[in-house]
Amino acid sequence: MNVFLAVLWKDLVTEWRSRDRLVAMAVFALLVVVVLWLAAPPRAAGESPARLAGLLWVTTIFAAVLGLNRAFALELENEALSGLALAPADRGWIYLGKATASFLLLAVIQALAAFVFALAFDLDLRPVALPFSGVAALGGVGLCAVGTLFSAMAIRTSYREVMLPLLMLPLLVPVLLGAVRATGALLEGRGIPADALRLLVVTDGVFLIVSFLGFDSVLDE
Amino acid sequence: MSHSGPSSLRRATAALLAVCTAAWAYLVWNAPVDAVQGVIQKLLYVHVPCVLGAYLGFSLTAVCGGLYLWQGEERYDRLAASAAEVGVLFCTLVLISGPIWARGTWGRWWSWDLRLTLTLLLYLVYLAYLLLRSFTEGSERTARFAAVYGIVGLAVIPLNYFAVDLAGGRAIHPENLGGDSLGRGMGAPFAMGMLTAAAAFLYLLVRRVELARLRAELLRRQLAASESTPSGPSWAT
Repeated sequence: MNVFLAVLWKDLVTEWRSRDRLVAMAVFALLVVVVLWLAAPPRAAGESPARLAGLLWVTTIFAAVLGLNRAFALELENEALSGLALAPADRGWIYLGKATASFLLLAVIQALAAFVFALAFDLDLRPVALPFSGVAALGGVGLCAVGTLFSAMAIRTSYREVMLPLLMLPLLVPVLLGAVRATGALLEGRGIPADALRLLVVTDGVFLIVSFLGFDSVLDE
Repeated sequence: MSHSGPSSLRRATAALLAVCTAAWAYLVWNAPVDAVQGVIQKLLYVHVPCVLGAYLGFSLTAVCGGLYLWQGEERYDRLAASAAEVGVLFCTLVLISGPIWARGTWGRWWSWDLRLTLTLLLYLVYLAYLLLRSFTEGSERTARFAAVYGIVGLAVIPLNYFAVDLAGGRAIHPENLGGDSLGRGMGAPFAMGMLTAAAAFLYLLVRRVELARLRAELLRRQLAASESTPSGPSWAT
């Protein structure tokens, strides 16, 4: 547990001092919204909420991939990753610390992306702000759960930046579909469908457990 | 000799495959032509058996990955890598034969149907698995990473099932074939097709494992040779 807090604190403090990842993710999310707006401009005759929800989550996933790619970049220097692996604690806690730090960064970016997206696509998110935050958090947990595990692998391969999305995206389908469906329902003014919520919660749980256990095999001394 | 085992296994699986293929070709040739779909329905004897090969490959990959993490024996990793490659080959055939059949019967190449989407996702997961293997350096690290990814890939299959079902993928693909769902005279070529696919899977797996073993042996000998060379760079020889 101490390891978890130490890793989380270390990641947040280094990020606060440099703000590299946060700025890169924010600018990238902004760019994706602009590109989406130009490529698929909002239609005058009313927008389909399912389509908007899909575009918003594509923005989130792209920004998350960019951020997660850097999750272990610092640890590569001076063999810090090996140092982490040698820490006298269950490596699962190291994983959880890294994943939580990535999740908190992503949450900031999600809030920013939703704000810009709402402006660009003329969307009023204020009435659904609270349930939407919940869905965004559930989606963010799923993204960071597998993303952190695969980031630790991808960073040790020869095509780092390419490898992470290749590994992550096919497995993110349950998170994406659950989140898009829940967000779409909120934008339509309905409540969150129970089956979408269940899918998100179960996927988050499975990803967290498998990654917590699998992380032990991903770090090497 | 240590090589007599694998090669006799190879001969046995090759013979089994040859016999099965001949019987399968004979039965498919003489199978009745479907009254509604016409001759294109004979793709059934290729498409569904290839699904068997793909599923065999992917399950074996995950199981052997788990065994590798548990026992740490290199042979499980070789088997996992080989099964993934053979599984991807079969899945490629599924994704080629399926659209051809779909074009003939549904009138279009692809539909975002539950089963089609799931198969495509599974295919992408195992393509990523193979890429991960080829981009990771060091055999021990490759084996660990691949095993973890293979297991996570397996864990996501039921989740994908619910997800695509939730997204309302229209069920256009027929359900699993039951005992009496095939027309008269179609059961035998279908069963033979499944048997042939299993034989082809076994044969290819045996060949691929042999190749993996030879590669590992070559690497070992190269390392031993470079260690025994007193001076000079090993790559110059």
